[in-house]
Amino acid sequence: MVEALFAFGEKSGIHALMYSTWGWPAVESLHFIGLVLLIGNVGVFDLRMIGLARGIPMRALHRLVPWGIAGYALNALTGFLFVVSAPDQYLFNPAFQTKLSLMAVAGFNVLVFYRFVWARVAPADAGEDAPRGAKIAAAVSLTCWVGVIVCGRLITYYRPPYHWCFWC
Amino acid sequence: MAQLPPHHLAWAESIGIVSRDMDFLLWFEETAFSTWMRESGPAFFSSLVLHSVAMGFVVGVHVATDLRVLGVACRVPLSLMRGFLPVAWVALWVVVASGALLLCAYPTKALTNPLFYVKLLAVLAALLIARSLTRGLLGDDNHDAGPLPRKARVLAALSLALWAGAITSGRLLAYTYNLLMASHQT
Repeated sequence: MVEALFAFGEKSGIHALMYSTWGWPAVESLHFIGLVLLIGNVGVFDLRMIGLARGIPMRALHRLVPWGIAGYALNALTGFLFVVSAPDQYLFNPAFQTKLSLMAVAGFNVLVFYRFVWARVAPADAGEDAPRGAKIAAAVSLTCWVGVIVCGRLITYYRPPYHWCFWC
Repeated sequence: MAQLPPHHLAWAESIGIVSRDMDFLLWFEETAFSTWMRESGPAFFSSLVLHSVAMGFVVGVHVATDLRVLGVACRVPLSLMRGFLPVAWVALWVVVASGALLLCAYPTKALTNPLFYVKLLAVLAALLIARSLTRGLLGDDNHDAGPLPRKARVLAALSLALWAGAITSGRLLAYTYNLLMASHQT
């Protein structure tokens, strides 16, 4: 896995980009900008379901969500560039493993939300409270994404092989 | 008096944003608190984590508001976007407090890097724009629907650029510092 990713990074020119003078810092900056787009646009949508700014109709606010998805896409791409450039530093890193797990939970939460909850939330007009299921989905979403940021930041703290965790 | 030698900082010194006087920084970084912030792993890393998470909410809420001013989600009553501002304000205090702690850990690293001041000015300018938009457009419900004045849209676009600039310069601080600690100077 590590070898395959590394070979891909060499062949595709990703390593040439990432290990150029400003490559890594520039991609990191884009990763933080994507973070802000995601937590900002998805975050205000979640906060409305939890009970803030209840005067805003749900469907109107939902128009911000595609900008959050754009942030997610930017971060999936830039994140992939990091992993390909130093696969051993990420794949064996407990913070990175936890981050991916939380992203999986957040993704599952998105599927459950749009499959079972959104149809009941969308009609929530100005002043209407979101149903309990929506509040739970919003809380799960905010918790997961905050956790993802925390783990992302901790990746540099748990650099392999100088770390300890109960499953390492 | 200890002096800071690299002359590439001369321009920054000439407009008064970096000091060649290292005595204060030498004293500061050797205080017990500064040493503890640097050497106890959890203190430094929890500040770093809080700084990133809270930054996400400060900038995120402002970006969502700027996008609304630019015409995204135009059926959201603009004045009601104020409902999210308390989250941004709480997060801003966390950003300021954690940022101050990080500054205590490595005062020389930040204060001798001109980019640190660029970051602070970008944040300050973006917050001033936010205040101007909040007091103006978001302050009454006359602007809840319909297109907004060109001036407001320009300010919102400028705000997005300033936040992007603040994030980028903040990230680059890890790569562009001239001197990590005053005591490292020979």
